[in-house]
Amino acid sequence: MNNAIKVQNLTKYYGDFLAVDHINFEVRQGEVFGFLGPNGAGKTTTQRMLTTLLEPTEGSIIIHGHDLARDAYPVKRRMGLVPEESNVYTELTAWDNLMFTACLYRVGRGERTARARELLETFGLWEKRDIKVQDFSKGMRRRMSIAMAIIHKPALLFLDEPTPGLDAQSARAIRDLIRQLNAEGTTIFLTTHQIEEANQLCDRVAIINHGQIAAINTPERLKQAFQRVQSVEVALEPKKSKTSEVSKTSEVSWAKLSGVTTSVKMGDKWRLYTQDPSALLPQVMDYARSHDLRVVSLNTLGPSLEDVFLEITGQQVGTVQHKTESSKPRRRGMGGRR
Amino acid sequence: MKDGWLQRLRDELVQAWTVTVKDMKVYYLKPGMIMFGFMMPFFMFFSFSVKREMAAAQGVARLLALTSFFTAAAAGPFIIPLERRLGTYDRLVAAPMSLLTLLLGKTAVGALFAIGTSAFALLVGVTAFGASIAQPWLLAAGVILGSFSFSALGLIFGSIPTRNPGDVQMPSTLLRWGLLFISGVFVPLAEMGAVARTLAYLSPLTYAQDLMNHAVLGMGLLNPWLDSGVLLVSGVLFLIPSVLMHRRSRRLGY
Repeated sequence: MNNAIKVQNLTKYYGDFLAVDHINFEVRQGEVFGFLGPNGAGKTTTQRMLTTLLEPTEGSIIIHGHDLARDAYPVKRRMGLVPEESNVYTELTAWDNLMFTACLYRVGRGERTARARELLETFGLWEKRDIKVQDFSKGMRRRMSIAMAIIHKPALLFLDEPTPGLDAQSARAIRDLIRQLNAEGTTIFLTTHQIEEANQLCDRVAIINHGQIAAINTPERLKQAFQRVQSVEVALEPKKSKTSEVSKTSEVSWAKLSGVTTSVKMGDKWRLYTQDPSALLPQVMDYARSHDLRVVSLNTLGPSLEDVFLEITGQQVGTVQHKTESSKPRRRGMGGRR
Repeated sequence: MKDGWLQRLRDELVQAWTVTVKDMKVYYLKPGMIMFGFMMPFFMFFSFSVKREMAAAQGVARLLALTSFFTAAAAGPFIIPLERRLGTYDRLVAAPMSLLTLLLGKTAVGALFAIGTSAFALLVGVTAFGASIAQPWLLAAGVILGSFSFSALGLIFGSIPTRNPGDVQMPSTLLRWGLLFISGVFVPLAEMGAVARTLAYLSPLTYAQDLMNHAVLGMGLLNPWLDSGVLLVSGVLFLIPSVLMHRRSRRLGY
């Protein structure tokens, strides 16, 4: 399979600060490639270098066979960019925004009107085509921003955090659109810290941390590599009216169970991280019985992409955490490095 | 190959014009543009001309130099930092066009605003004060060349790597006011001492004012061809620091 993007030794210094540290990766033609990382990890810096907005300090970027440093023009013609902030011209109407972008990308006169209409209809904005974008909601502006990025039918589309701050309906519509664009052959480079979004959309993900690529693989392969991050999720309620027994349950209670490395309260449930869920299940049942509690639900869970991400980036799996004496300290930060 | 280059050239020209038209729609009616671009030259003119013995034609020549200078140079420092702050500048930088094309498009925004404002000033001068124009073609050349040159000058400040228009307004205003007072707009070149006149020759506004004097009054101190040539060359030269500063912005991430 051909590479849409090939990055070699890419480095960016801001003064003395090393933002991106000699990274290497490839994005295959036709895939949805997720670029994950915590805030300040170097995601946006990398994406800005890939889209010619920022000059690398060192390294090379080859897109569709063209070296970006020497021959950016053909790359720019086939590339679309949706930045984190919807950078639409709020003083212009939806129609004028699309016409402006189409002219900038030299889309033919007949084609651009047809394409603008098609996009506005697809995004549910056709009725609002003559309204200035300043009167649009955040979700509508986001859709406009995406429409402007794809009016010239780019072969490669960069999306930087496309859904944060949107309502569930708008976010789903945008995710469906990403899938549709990809199905039509567009290579997608998705920068996000929405782990579940990357899990749902991406063929492969790269996790960047402290300016370095910590892991690259498919979401499922990454999860398999982190089988130790399994968990048991349990919801308890009192058998009678002893609500105090449930409220007494805390991370200290769970720490007494053998094999629990971390416990996290998640709403009315507890998630107990362990390397051996099968050994933990009977202990949970015993705990419920001994405290006169009824088990409302009990599930074993494999590692989520979020768990993998947190392991790799060296962050805590939850807000409340406990390590039992019997469990080995978890190796953080380097877990997924390849 | 030749067709490829011609097509590319045509594309770049259309793209520059697309940027210009977009900016005209988006920014011409913004309060900042109206204040610093449209009203400022008139304020300046009345501040320094009221209660002074001056013929209508002399006033029109001065006002035209002021409008082409102040209005044209106001656009770049206002628009580019604002677009950088809103993120819309990224859209232009990422588009398939050369940096020079983008800068030419931006230069035309300020220049066309100045040409329009000068036309309004001329209309007022001719209809309200009965001024007559000695050499209309020279006037057109002076306004057009001056507007493009001063717009390119303003673009230098717009190219400073910042997202805050306030960071740019201060140095750009300082330079514009400095040039205004050394350039023979308020004190005629012929009345200046040797040192002041030498200083005046360093300012492109001097040549614009002299060209306006030729065009409106029918007389100036320098050769109008020299005036036109200096404005043309300075306009081209002013693009060079803008290109260099844009490259620096790309290194710094603005």
